[in-house]
Amino acid sequence: MNKTTLLLFSTLCLAWLASGCINPKVDIPEQVAGLAPIYYDGDWRDIAAEPARPIRELFKIYYKDSILFAGESLQGIHVIDNTDPFYPQPVKFIRIPGNSDIAIKGSTLYANNLSDLVAIDISDLDNIRVLSRVENAFPGNGAPLPDGYFGFFECPEPNMGAIVGWAEKVLERPECWR
Amino acid sequence: MARTTLFLLLLTALWSCAESSNDAASISDSGTGTGGSLARFTIVGNYLYTVDNTSLHSFDISQAAEIKPRETIYVGEGVETIFPLNGFLFLGTRDGMLIYQILPGGLPQFVSNYQHVVSCDPVVANNQYAYVTLRASGCRQAGPGAADLLEIIDIRYIQDPQVVASYSMDSPFGLGLDGQTLFLCEGAGGLKVFDVANPRDIQLLHHFTNFNAIDVIPLGSLLLVIGPDRIVQLDYSNIDDIKVVSEIAIGV
Repeated sequence: MNKTTLLLFSTLCLAWLASGCINPKVDIPEQVAGLAPIYYDGDWRDIAAEPARPIRELFKIYYKDSILFAGESLQGIHVIDNTDPFYPQPVKFIRIPGNSDIAIKGSTLYANNLSDLVAIDISDLDNIRVLSRVENAFPGNGAPLPDGYFGFFECPEPNMGAIVGWAEKVLERPECWR
Repeated sequence: MARTTLFLLLLTALWSCAESSNDAASISDSGTGTGGSLARFTIVGNYLYTVDNTSLHSFDISQAAEIKPRETIYVGEGVETIFPLNGFLFLGTRDGMLIYQILPGGLPQFVSNYQHVVSCDPVVANNQYAYVTLRASGCRQAGPGAADLLEIIDIRYIQDPQVVASYSMDSPFGLGLDGQTLFLCEGAGGLKVFDVANPRDIQLLHHFTNFNAIDVIPLGSLLLVIGPDRIVQLDYSNIDDIKVVSEIAIGV
């Protein structure tokens, strides 16, 4: 990118941000449904099981066979052994970039991986495998805010990486809207 | 020789015991799991149904190694949730609830809808009634006249859903139903537990205000409550004495 393009790009970005953020508007609510950017740096198709880690931001949960699947906003799924509900034990983290929803049949986990639909064999959590992938099953996960969207969104943070999409989220005191 | 065999058998038995107790988290290769009321994916039989903002997608998943996309139906703007029951799909949308019937081949067919003012609203249902929350508080799309409500809709005649009763709430998010017990999340306002045996006169049994509740999954006697800062598990086997079982912290 040469300097002129970079300057133009930055100006456009600023203008876009300004159009979203600096309009005086209604009171900022404590909690509101809105959109949040999906950042990803690297190959978003790369799905893998990783060691368990703390949940930073919860999205949705799913339950099967005493296992709790807790979705980390657009990052993947925390697998928690809930055989003893008094002592839930974190087991794994399944990295699925851009994920927002899952459903499980048997030992196959169906999930969106950004705009793709994937089937993942989770019968052996140490050796998960993508069984199939439907590319662009959910079109419309673009980088800009969805067309016709007017409302609150989580302010983009440039150091977070590329915005590969937007997803619904309950926002707390959001500072951006359009 | 006999003694050695016995010893080996005993050893094998002990070993298998040890192994099974170590391997507590194992997923069965049959059945489907349970999501919350804010779910956008659901599996019925050999089909995965998903909703995005405007569409209902169906996928044939009879072979996991070869998902077959079947149909994408444009259902209108603002589809938020999907809930399956007895061969029907209930879609929570910004202006109401859409009901689709799953045809024998797996494809969904529109049956009826119930409309209200634009707000945010998941839906759960049983054989007789659908329970829809309408949230205007903090709902970005809420239209003029929108209010925070729980609406109970008679769906016994599924072609023509009729509102039976409507109750004021604070800011209802997700909800869950187990028999005559309705669990209703109110975000920072906590969790409400209702006896809904009489839809025209539901009774508030409990109101938990010490945690933030966005969605719930009732599992027979265990209730998973999802909030932005923790997952709380409650034992509701005795509905008069609901106890906190454990909490999983988030964001620490």
